[in-house]
Amino acid sequence: MKRLPVQRRTLALIAVIVPLLALLVYVALRSGPLAPVAVTVAQVESQSINPALFGIGTVGARYTYMIGPTAAGRVKRVDVHVGDRVSAGQLLAEMDPVDLDDRIRAQKAAIKQTQAAVGEATAKQSFAQIQARRYERLLAKHSTSEEAVAAKHEELQVANAALAAARGDLTRTHADLQALLAQRANLRLVAPVDGIVTQRDAAPGSTFVAGQAVVEMIDPQSLWVDARFDQIQAVGLAAGQPASIVLRSRSGKTFKGEVLRVDPLADAVTEETLAKIRFKHIPQPLPPIGELADVTVALPALPPRPTVPNASLQRIDGKLGVWRVAAGKLEFVPVKVLGSDLDGQVQVEGLKAGERVVVYSQRTLGAHSNISIVDRIPGVSP
Amino acid sequence: MAAQGIRIEGLKKRYGSGDTAVDALKGVDMEVAPGEVVGLVGPSGSGKSTLLKCLGAVIDPSAGRMTLGDAVIYDQGWKARDLRALRRDKIGFVFQAPYLIPFLDVTDNVALLPMLAGVPNAEARKRALELLTALDVQHRAKAMPSQLSGGEQQRVAIARGLVNRPPVILADEPTAPLDSKRAMAVIRILNDMAKKYETAIIVVTHDEKILPTFKRIYHIRDGVTHEEAGEGRGFD
Amino acid sequence: MISLAGRDILHTWGKFVFTGIGLGLLIGVTLVMAGVYRGMVDDAMVLLDNSGADLWVVQKDTQGPYAESSSLYDDTWRGIAAMPGVASATDITYLTMQVRATNHGEPRDVRAMVVGIAPDGPGSAGWPPYLVAGRQITRSHYEAVADIASGFKLGDTLQIRRNRYTVVGLTRRMVSSNGDPMVFIPLKDAQQAQFLKDNEAILQQRRRTAENPAFNRPGVPGLLDAVIASQSTNNYVNAVLVRIKPGYTADEVAAPIRRWKRLTVFTRAQMQNILVNKLIATASRQIGMFMVILAIVSAAIVAFIIYTLTMDKIREIAVLKLIGTRNRTIAAMIMQQALALGLIGFAVGKITATFAAPLFPKFVLLMPGDSIAGFFAVMVICALASVVAIRMALKVDPAEAIGG
Repeated sequence: MKRLPVQRRTLALIAVIVPLLALLVYVALRSGPLAPVAVTVAQVESQSINPALFGIGTVGARYTYMIGPTAAGRVKRVDVHVGDRVSAGQLLAEMDPVDLDDRIRAQKAAIKQTQAAVGEATAKQSFAQIQARRYERLLAKHSTSEEAVAAKHEELQVANAALAAARGDLTRTHADLQALLAQRANLRLVAPVDGIVTQRDAAPGSTFVAGQAVVEMIDPQSLWVDARFDQIQAVGLAAGQPASIVLRSRSGKTFKGEVLRVDPLADAVTEETLAKIRFKHIPQPLPPIGELADVTVALPALPPRPTVPNASLQRIDGKLGVWRVAAGKLEFVPVKVLGSDLDGQVQVEGLKAGERVVVYSQRTLGAHSNISIVDRIPGVSP
Repeated sequence: MAAQGIRIEGLKKRYGSGDTAVDALKGVDMEVAPGEVVGLVGPSGSGKSTLLKCLGAVIDPSAGRMTLGDAVIYDQGWKARDLRALRRDKIGFVFQAPYLIPFLDVTDNVALLPMLAGVPNAEARKRALELLTALDVQHRAKAMPSQLSGGEQQRVAIARGLVNRPPVILADEPTAPLDSKRAMAVIRILNDMAKKYETAIIVVTHDEKILPTFKRIYHIRDGVTHEEAGEGRGFD
Repeated sequence: MISLAGRDILHTWGKFVFTGIGLGLLIGVTLVMAGVYRGMVDDAMVLLDNSGADLWVVQKDTQGPYAESSSLYDDTWRGIAAMPGVASATDITYLTMQVRATNHGEPRDVRAMVVGIAPDGPGSAGWPPYLVAGRQITRSHYEAVADIASGFKLGDTLQIRRNRYTVVGLTRRMVSSNGDPMVFIPLKDAQQAQFLKDNEAILQQRRRTAENPAFNRPGVPGLLDAVIASQSTNNYVNAVLVRIKPGYTADEVAAPIRRWKRLTVFTRAQMQNILVNKLIATASRQIGMFMVILAIVSAAIVAFIIYTLTMDKIREIAVLKLIGTRNRTIAAMIMQQALALGLIGFAVGKITATFAAPLFPKFVLLMPGDSIAGFFAVMVICALASVVAIRMALKVDPAEAIGG
């Protein structure tokens, strides 16, 4: 009884000191460099992966028609607006003919004049022919002289020549008219194919030089995505591979497509390979030309091989590898990447299926790191 | 124990110097035999406290001679090199208030002195317990001072004063806070202990109740002592 | 001999422990302060470590890319890659900006350092060296790996300038030297984010260009388009990270790049100097001042407490002296009490600091070395603080124990 106060005090003191010391030891061991590094591990599995390439591109049209005058001139009228659907042969715009119509009229008058000249020459030629025949008959009856007959033959030849000349003239004037009409038709800018007007650069009255487009149109059936793939990743890209396309304006929707071709020219500045991706079905409404699109090209599946998550890849002293866990010890194993997919699975050479590798770690690891294997790195919410 | 008790001859104490000098003790002569309890009385300012401090070796006397047991401890200067050891080993103190160390229990309060002198803890505690038993407070051996009654505290204080078997005990108003019955008890204990341990005990007091118990009383007045015979009546 | 200090502490242990806890909180704050400084240094160091680079090639005469802005053409790396001793040269961009998470409820902004990483695959310079969740970036666009300190989660959608990014991976301790969490995105996107102007600016720029007769000439169709296209290029990066081949020293590789490419090259040591000694010099002095003040306050508190505790038992000390206790014993008693107080304080401080450290918004790194140094500092401070009390105790006249 008498000893109790001291004991109680001692007990209370122990109750304070012991947890304090325990906490201190815990704190010293569980934080700072003495603490083990939390890591998660995964088993290397032999599996096949479906590699894919990811690129971005812009919607473009395979065929773009730039419709403009072949000679400098002023625009007389433009009949279409951007977005109009036009059919082949439809008049889109017309250049101002200036004096061309007058010249056609003059040419037509000239044809008539020439036709009259041809008529006159024909009349003269048939009279000359009759005279020549008559004198021939008279000569046969010896009622005229041979000299007179020769004179009439000469007259006929002159008349023939005059007729040929008049006919040639007529042909020329006709040809001239045709030329003028052709020029006139050339001022009418018509749609070469069915399509959609994408640009209308002119208002009536503006002048254009030869080759400048007044109206641009595309063939919507030829819409494609002009996609760019980083050269590093564009391994195995080839025509005919299936692709899925996501338009920036319709990010929830995936359109099917396929690689039409891989361009033989790459972009040297951006270090990208260019490829054209064709839509299986042209999206409706039509996406605007120039819209950004994501393209994922599925490559042929790779045969089953040891596969690890890409988060486990590390580079130590210039070597790419993974940390292999065996009996609680870490060992760095250099690996060679054979293929990867977009979900972060990497097929590697240098590991065997069933081995365990570090995927996530709390800190940079070293060969002598003290690790504790956890299901989830602390601080990461499920 | 040497049989000579304490002897003081011509002890003087002067505070300050020159014009402001005060002579607190002007020549004190005392002699207390072992086993004897003497009273020391005097009004305030009579030099009583100064005398006690000189005896207790906490202030230096100015002149005189003190002999403790068979050793001269002061003769125009302290003879002992270590006054602490002197106090610890040769002089026991019992105060007006018990002045027990509040953070030590009763046994350790008593045992502290031998421990300070280098006695092993167990031995020191054994000695302390012996004394506590002699003083009849052994049942409170493990209590803390704050749990004791005034009389018990004073008894523990006496035990502490005795534990090193000093040849002399200086008791400063040991009965002041106690009623007459308990005061008597304390004086009786002091007498018993003086006899039992052959100790000279000087009891400073102005307690009228206990004066009659002394056989010899020293009066001190203006720094001079006068010895007179007490009634020596006993304690009942 | 029994321990007087221990007995006294046992006697008044409640007071003692509570005082110790109070002191401990103060020591905890001091340790956290040291941790804040270490954290700042560590932020700078992990920035360098995580970049995985041996050399930083930046715009001539700048101290980029962390301390100053720097811009290089994004094909500069090709020339550098061909220099002797260069194992790899990788473009990188850094841009500190507000990144907005848009997918859950309230959009919220996080100040982050957006890092544009070249699509060379995991393990390349600039890539996060390890993850704590998710996966590394596999697409060359619109994917992000964010530091866990940003609070982003896997699957979050981040808005960086005009594009949206999906968080596919989380990492840890990938911070800028300011402690801002990093968000890794593919280089091309990052170049756009950094160098592409906003739409309004682009439109205004186009309009200005179109109104300039020199660029919009009627006889030269296509000139305007070409000029505009050339104006909106963003083929810049902030730095080229260089890894060197084994067998070369950093200086050996850096010197020819400086000389022949006319670029500024920093080695790891120089970069560390810039980040640690220049960027956080003022902050570290600031923290140093705080620590000095806290040390003084701690010392004052210990001194005051020990002084008070001693004052409380001045009578007992007088008695102890009177009954022959040596000064050494009394001084040791007081000193031991001060040290015990320091011990409790240090333990409490270390524990609180460790548990409080993760709650701080910026990284607080508690180094065991600092704790050990702190322990000795606390002990020295407590010992010094007890000197006043010891002096006072030694001055106590044993005569005081004898009344009047």
